[in-house]
Amino acid sequence: MAGNEWTLEFPYRRSVGPIVGEFLTALRKGELKGARTASGRVIVPALEYDPETGEPVEELVAVADHGTVTSFAWIAEPKRHQPLDRPFAFAHIRLEGADTDLFHLVDAGSEEAMSIGMAVEASWRDERDGSITDIAAFVPTGDA
Amino acid sequence: MADDKPPQDKPTGAEEPDKPVRFMRQMVSLDYIAHQSPLARRYGAALAEKRVVGQRCPKCSLVYVPLRGFCPLCVVEMTENDEVDVSDHGTITTFTIITPIQYYGQQEREDYTLASILLDGADQTIGQQRLGSIDNSEVRPGIRVKAVWKDDLSGAESGTGGAIEHWEPSGEPDVDPAEFEEHVS
Repeated sequence: MAGNEWTLEFPYRRSVGPIVGEFLTALRKGELKGARTASGRVIVPALEYDPETGEPVEELVAVADHGTVTSFAWIAEPKRHQPLDRPFAFAHIRLEGADTDLFHLVDAGSEEAMSIGMAVEASWRDERDGSITDIAAFVPTGDA
Repeated sequence: MADDKPPQDKPTGAEEPDKPVRFMRQMVSLDYIAHQSPLARRYGAALAEKRVVGQRCPKCSLVYVPLRGFCPLCVVEMTENDEVDVSDHGTITTFTIITPIQYYGQQEREDYTLASILLDGADQTIGQQRLGSIDNSEVRPGIRVKAVWKDDLSGAESGTGGAIEHWEPSGEPDVDPAEFEEHVS
């Protein structure tokens, strides 16, 4: 070996706003919510402000925990700290009832099982702590 | 009150499961490889053979440990031809007792001592050397110490910390600090 291997890590906690906090609190209950803007769009994951106007969002509304894949990147060799230790896809998922895409992962087993437009549903963890990883992964609909 | 706590102690959704989530954990993590200079590689290769190697300046004859590649006093190059083995026995010149703060990733739990050691045959101290088999309160300049080599020398290429478990008193009488005043640090 021509060098020494090192790991530099910096753990921290950050505050979330009231809207994102409510989004995370809902995740802990096993529910997905989106932020509804003045124009009626539903943003998932929820944001404090409408990115198009800068105005505060109006309220949080329930969205489905299933939807379709709009784009994906297959991760053939996951690295340390990535959410699964087996190949998976990072994906944009348009949940039913949402007008934006949620960035998450799809555990489909193989790249051949992935396609844009495929139907997926959330696989929730049993023990949830109010973070986006309360959804372990999205899986092809019917596999959960 | 949670609000009195520093940010790293603010409760997450897991720690206050009945309250609204207000904080989330994040982690920045970087794995990297630090490439070594040819000098550091030769120094490490010698350690793997339980040898401590230095370089003798061809002009002033001072012996530098670890390998340095040049004499900063004479401003002349030192090469492989100038390498000499020094002893794994030496004398403590200075030391620091460290009380480890229990930050994330801290491996140390108890107070410990790091010392600068002037090895026999060397004119430069090696720094940050871990001491063992001696109470922190007993450490003083002038104590004679010897290396306790690790059984597994596979980490020797990273330097003395990978090859030497710690330095322990050798039992020889203390050296008068006046005798080692003149050295390079």
